Amino acid sequence: MKPPEVLFKPAGLGSRIPREPSLPDDRLKRRLTSDRLIMRIVLVVFVGAVIWAWRHIEMSFGGLISGFGDVQNLLGRMLPPRFSDLDDAIRLGFETLWMAVIGTTIAVILSFPIALGAARNTTPHPAVMAVCRGIIVLSRAVPDLIFAAIFVRAIGIGVLPGVIALGLHSIGMVGKLFADAIEQTDKTPREAVTSVGASKWQAITTSVIPQAMPSFISTVLYRLDINLRSSSVLGIVGAGGIGFLMQANLRSLQYDEALGVVTVIFVLITIMEFFSAAVRATLLGGDRTLVGRSAPKFSLGSKLFFRISSKAQSTDTGVRPFDRDTIRPPWVGELRMKTIYGVAFIALVVIAFRSVSLNPGELLGAMPKVWEVTTRLFPPDFTTARDPIIDGMIESVAAALVATFMGAILSIPLGLMAARNVAFNRIVYSVSRLFLVFVRGIPELIIAVIFIAAIGLGPVPGTLALAFGTSGFLAKLIADAVEEINPTPREATFAVGATKTQEIGTSVIPQAMPAIVSNLLYALDINLRTSTILGIVGGGGIGFILFNALRVLELRTVGAVLITIFVVVYSIELLSGWVRKKIL
Amino acid sequence: MTTPLPDNVVQVSGLSKKFPNGPLALDHVSLTVPKGQLLSLIGLSGSGKSTLLRHLNGLIPPTTGSVEVLGTNVVAAGRRELRALRRDVGFVFQSFGLVGRLTALENVLSGALGRLHGPRYGTLMYPKTLRREALENLDRVGLGDRAFQRADTLSGGQQQRVAIARTLMQRPSLLLADEPVASLDPESSAQVMDVLFRIVVEDQLTVICTLHQVELALGWAQRIVGLRDGQVVLDRSVDDLDQDAVMDVYRRVEPGQVSVTGGLVSETTKPRVA
Repeated sequence: MKPPEVLFKPAGLGSRIPREPSLPDDRLKRRLTSDRLIMRIVLVVFVGAVIWAWRHIEMSFGGLISGFGDVQNLLGRMLPPRFSDLDDAIRLGFETLWMAVIGTTIAVILSFPIALGAARNTTPHPAVMAVCRGIIVLSRAVPDLIFAAIFVRAIGIGVLPGVIALGLHSIGMVGKLFADAIEQTDKTPREAVTSVGASKWQAITTSVIPQAMPSFISTVLYRLDINLRSSSVLGIVGAGGIGFLMQANLRSLQYDEALGVVTVIFVLITIMEFFSAAVRATLLGGDRTLVGRSAPKFSLGSKLFFRISSKAQSTDTGVRPFDRDTIRPPWVGELRMKTIYGVAFIALVVIAFRSVSLNPGELLGAMPKVWEVTTRLFPPDFTTARDPIIDGMIESVAAALVATFMGAILSIPLGLMAARNVAFNRIVYSVSRLFLVFVRGIPELIIAVIFIAAIGLGPVPGTLALAFGTSGFLAKLIADAVEEINPTPREATFAVGATKTQEIGTSVIPQAMPAIVSNLLYALDINLRTSTILGIVGGGGIGFILFNALRVLELRTVGAVLITIFVVVYSIELLSGWVRKKIL
Repeated sequence: MTTPLPDNVVQVSGLSKKFPNGPLALDHVSLTVPKGQLLSLIGLSGSGKSTLLRHLNGLIPPTTGSVEVLGTNVVAAGRRELRALRRDVGFVFQSFGLVGRLTALENVLSGALGRLHGPRYGTLMYPKTLRREALENLDRVGLGDRAFQRADTLSGGQQQRVAIARTLMQRPSLLLADEPVASLDPESSAQVMDVLFRIVVEDQLTVICTLHQVELALGWAQRIVGLRDGQVVLDRSVDDLDQDAVMDVYRRVEPGQVSVTGGLVSETTKPRVA
C-alpha cells in the first residue's frame, strides 16, 4: 500500500537538491512532476469527456427529475408484485441456475489449458502464449449477450446457445485470473521438484497447480455468481432462462407480473451470492492470504457453514493420526471437507445437464454450427452501415462515461456509509449494506428494461440503469477497500482533535484513494461492455445496430460491429490499465 | 549406487557465468570434489555460492567452462540426461521449496518424481511402496508422525527436515545444500545440521554445502572452499585452516567498509567466527 501523500514536502528532499536557497513561497509549492502533470491531464480529459457525453446523450437535470417521476409511476403500477405463474417462474429460475452452472463448467474446462498456455511460467512457447492471451482478450471484449444473440441465430432458440455464450465469454475472465494465479505461484517449490529430476508436467501438477488451487476455486465461485446474473437476462434474446418470462410480461404490459419475476431473479441471485461467499469462506478459510482481495470476510453465512462443517474443518495444526500400514491420508479434516465439496460440485453439474435436458454430445454437436456462423462474420462489412456503427459506438461510449461518473458520485458516500470502520453507527452501516445487497441482486440489464418501460426508448434510461447498477457495485468495492485501510493514521488524526468529517478527508479518503480510482477505472471498463448491449433492449448505443443486422442476417455487418466494439473496448482497457499503473 | 562411481564426483573447470545485465557471477572457477568428501562453500552474499551449486545440477547453464558431475557432462547433457543426473543429485534449498498446502508426506513423495513417468496429483497417485519409503524417510528425519500435516503448519526447522526427507527419496549419491539453515533460528539450525550430518555419514554421501556461519562449516566439513566475487579465494582442508585465511574470504573490496585483516568496521558484515 502506498503511504498517504504528504501535502507539504520540503525542497531538497527530492532527487535534486537546489543549488541556491529558494524563496519560502516556492518551498510551499509542490513540484509539478511529469507523473503529476499526466494525472492532471487525465483528470481534465475525463471530466471534459463526461461533460461532452452528458450533452451527447441529451441528459439533463430536468430529464433526470421527470425520469424519476416516470419510474415512480411505473413502480406504482408494478406494486404489489403478482405471482400468478410462480411455478413457471421458479422452473425458469432453476433453468437459469443450471445454465450458469453449465456455462461456468464449460469455461473452466476451456480456460484451464488456455491459462497454462498464457501464463509466462508454464507456457510451452511464446507463440502459444500470444495465441492464448489473444483468445482471452477477445472473449472478454465481446459481451455474453452478444455471443448469445449470434448463437441463437446459428442454432436456434433455447438453452444451448445460452450456455455456449456464457462459456465462451467467461474464458476471458476465468482464463485471465487462472493465468495470473499460475504466474503468482512461488517458484522455489517448482525448482525443488525440478531438481529431483521431475519433468515439466510433473513439476506443474505437483508444485504449481496445488499452489494456485485456492485462487482457482475462488475464481470459479466468483464467475458462477456473475454467470447467474448474466444467464437471468439471456432469455431476452431467446437464449433460455428466466429473462424471457420477464420480457414477455413487460411486453404484454403485465407490470405486476413482471415485478414478480424480478423478485424471483432477485431472490435467486441473493441466495447464490450468500451461498458462494459461504462456500468460499469454508473452503479457503485457511488460505486467506493466498486469495487476496477476493477472500471472503467472515459473514453470517460463513459462520453458519462453519457450524455445519465444523466436524470437517480441523482447526488444530497438530499431529494427524493415520494408519501406518496403508499410509493413506486420514479421512478427517480438510480432505473430507474438500472431497464432499468436490463430489457435490460434480453432482451439481450432472443435475444441471439433466435438468435442462442437454447432453455433452449436443454441446459438441453445436460447435460446427457455431464455427460456421463465426466464419460468416468475415470479411466484415463496414460500408453498408458505416454511419450508424460510428454513431452507435460513440453513443455507447458516452453512456458508459456518464453512467460511470454518476455511479461514482453516488457510490463514494454510499461506500463510506457501508464501511464498518467509518459508518456513523451500526444502523447506517446495516441499512447501507442491505441497500447494496438489494441493488446488486438485480442485474443491470433488468433495471434497464424496467427504466426503458417507464421512460421510453433511448440512451437516457439505459444510462440511468447503468449508473444505478454501477453505484451498487462500486460502493461495495469502495466499502471493502475502506474497511481494509490502516487504522493508525486515523487514530493519529483523531488524537490531534479532528472531527469525524475532517478525519475522513485527511486519513480515510487519501488512504483509500488508489483503490477508489482503480475500481472506478474497472467500473468504466465494465460499463463500456454493458453499454454496447443496452441497444438490444432499446437503451441506445451500438447494440441496436448489431441486433438489427442479426435479425436480417447481415452477418458481415455484425462482424463489423463486433470488430468496432472490440477495438474500442480493448483500447479503453489499455488506456485505463496505463492510468492505473501511473496511479498505483 | 549400483554402478561404481568415478573417483571424482564433481569436476568443474574454468567455469564462468555472466547473467544478462549483471556482473560476472562466477569467474573461472575450477573445483574437483572426490567421492565421499564433505565440502563447505563459504563467502559473502552474492559471491557466487548459490550460482555455483545451481550449475552442478544444470538448473543454470554456464557461459563458459565445463561441469562434470557423477560422470555426466552437465553442459552438453540433453533434457533426458539432465533428468537422470538430477535424480541422483539431492538439493536442499534455503527456502525449503515445499508446497505449503500439501501434506508433509506428499512433499516427500515428490522427491520420487524423477523415477516416475507422468504427472501426479495427490498422495494416492503414488504407489504404496513409494508411500512406505516416503514415510520411512520422514521417520529418519524424526517427523514420521506428522506425515499428513500440511507443510505450512510446520515450523521452519521441521519444514527443512521434510525437504531433506524429500531429497532422501532420490537416494542421492551427491547432496547439494544451499544455505540450508540460513533462515532458521540457532536451535533449529543445530537440529537440521544434526539430521543432515547423520544421514550424510550413514549413507556415505558426498556433500557440497554453502554456509553463512563459518563455525557451522568448521564443525563438520572436511574441506572449505571460499568464494569472493565469483572467484575461488580459499581452498583448504579444515585441518590447516587459520582464522586469517577465513577472514580474507569475507574481505570486502570496497574501501572504507572493512579493513583487510579482520578489523571489522561494520557489524552487519561481521562473520560469526568462534
